[in-house]
Amino acid sequence: MSVISAQRPAIIERLSARLGVVGLIPLLLVLIVIGMTIFEPRFYGLPNLFNILRNTSFLAIMACGQMLVMIVGGMDLSVGVTAALASVIAAKVMATATETLGLDPGVAMVLGILVSLGSGAAVGLFNGLCSTLLRVPSLIVTLGTLSVVSGITLMMTSGIPVYGIPQDFITGFGRALWWGLPAPAYVAAGLVGAVWLMQRKTVLGTYIYAIGGNPLAAAVSGISVTAYLVLTFVFCALLASVTGLLITSQMGSGQTNLGGDRLMLLSIAAAVIGGTSLRGGIGRAEMVGLSALFLSTLTNALNLLRINSKKELVVLGLVVVAAVAIDSLGRGKAAVE
Amino acid sequence: MSQAAEIQPSAADLATGRSDALARIVSLAYRVLLPSLPIILALGFGLYVPRVLSLENIVNIIQQASFLFVLTAAQTIVLLTRGLDLSLGPSVSMISVGSALVMTAILGPNAANGIVAALAGTAVGLALGLLVGLFNGIAVAWLRVNPFVTTLASMNICLGIGTSLSDGHPVFGIPDEFNVPGYRLHVLGMPVSIIYAIGVGVALHVLLQHTVVGRSFYVLGSNPRAAVVAGWPRRRLLALAYILSALLTAVGAIILTARAASGEPNLGGGLSLQTIAAAVIGGVSLSGGRGGLSSAVIGTFFITILSNGMNLASIGGYTQMLVMGAIVILAVALDRMGRVNA
Repeated sequence: MSVISAQRPAIIERLSARLGVVGLIPLLLVLIVIGMTIFEPRFYGLPNLFNILRNTSFLAIMACGQMLVMIVGGMDLSVGVTAALASVIAAKVMATATETLGLDPGVAMVLGILVSLGSGAAVGLFNGLCSTLLRVPSLIVTLGTLSVVSGITLMMTSGIPVYGIPQDFITGFGRALWWGLPAPAYVAAGLVGAVWLMQRKTVLGTYIYAIGGNPLAAAVSGISVTAYLVLTFVFCALLASVTGLLITSQMGSGQTNLGGDRLMLLSIAAAVIGGTSLRGGIGRAEMVGLSALFLSTLTNALNLLRINSKKELVVLGLVVVAAVAIDSLGRGKAAVE
Repeated sequence: MSQAAEIQPSAADLATGRSDALARIVSLAYRVLLPSLPIILALGFGLYVPRVLSLENIVNIIQQASFLFVLTAAQTIVLLTRGLDLSLGPSVSMISVGSALVMTAILGPNAANGIVAALAGTAVGLALGLLVGLFNGIAVAWLRVNPFVTTLASMNICLGIGTSLSDGHPVFGIPDEFNVPGYRLHVLGMPVSIIYAIGVGVALHVLLQHTVVGRSFYVLGSNPRAAVVAGWPRRRLLALAYILSALLTAVGAIILTARAASGEPNLGGGLSLQTIAAAVIGGVSLSGGRGGLSSAVIGTFFITILSNGMNLASIGGYTQMLVMGAIVILAVALDRMGRVNA
């Protein structure tokens, strides 16, 4: 190993260590923000800033869940379809409760939210149980779930948006401003903060890191690895469902393809750019939140500069590889497995 | 990720304290069953829909399988090194559109020099494949970016380029000099794509079993430290695996383009995940070092027969997605149970 690291010029190693991803993201964010004053002043319009904030909220919540699964050494490819399932189920339940059963819109909303969170928990439970008890790698389990859940969602709707959501849920929440900021931003801040607290201050958070860092050691020291792994997958799916609910409340209908693959890929990108290790054991909610802000700002800036969504994919891909390459080169010797 | 995939099960073992006897029975059953699984599946469908077992449909299945096989072979090479290639599908699309555009440009309005166009299109397709392989290989081997992240990124890049090249429209007007040898030709009564698949299969087997480079891919996957300690050019070998895989992907893309007789920006679609599923069902391990020609063949036929059978049984597309997902999980679960003490 020492032979390999000796081949590398020391300067590059030191530079990339200095710049490490943690330092690079805020820098790039500032660069984009400054750059946009020159190229596109519309970037600073309040509607656009709110737009960025909303997209950041959606992404940050989902990416925090993705991060938790990555910390225990897994991967969740099914977050996008889980969000879509939550969206469709919430819309169906709300529409049925108000139109068919004639319930009060408030009751219908609570019912819809609870049922759709329940559906998310069920998906998470399935992912967790399959990857622990059946010992299938989570990449394959969630690949299977991706297919199964999108099949279910499409069967429920035939791909047609589900209307009939109470107006209170849309205008009073999804599109509403609370104390001058979009409502989803408060939800995201609360949830990212909660995950941060959990990671920092609770035994649960410590256990999750311990399992990711060294599952055998965690098991030997008496942590119920299986239970916590399952719990992590449930957390991830629940957070994905919240993202689905927030997007539904903004769009005003239940959508089978609201997140699609794009949201899933972005959630992985946000987690990875935020310094979460794919080998497990490393990842911080606040950094993932920050990289969600970075990615949302970047895609927004690209849109305003009329770089179409196809070319945007190319930029996103290059950014992800560059960010992770700088990170792993910075860690130098430790990176050879 | 791959490391955890290896460790997680043993941690789960400790936690649940499962017995070995069951695992051994499952293991034995699965070892015997695996090779015959596609045949059992075909017979099972045949009971309900006799048409599945008609000669015409069997030829159809083999032809369908030949496309998927070439791409699964490409995926297998990378999986052996404990990597994976998510960019496979979108790079198929990009290569298809790229080579079609070159062919139509050379062909011009009077369609005179078809042979030149076909050769140039093939060359450009292979060159694009080489580029994808170089990108993935350099990022994984020298920049030390995790294969999942690398190919997730190159997947987006290929997707972006593939759809921008022709604005997302199919490219028509590919010369017959390309389509006929690529797809429509029959040799000894067999569709030519089957011949290509057999050629790829032989090449894959020779590479993996009889060359030093091929054998080293197994070591890179099962014990990367050993490769370092032995003083091998670990990085060059790893990059080579991605390059060979991408070139094979290009071959698959060229055949598929000839079949479609147009450059299709959506040609690759779900192929990345389908090839991973096929390889893993066939017995390739995501933690590297296990698999080969037979696993690619078994997995390819399993997936092809399953989707062909469900189509003929007129099972709806949405139900098919559900069944396919559940079966992938189940097949891998059985495989892993069977391998506990192997």
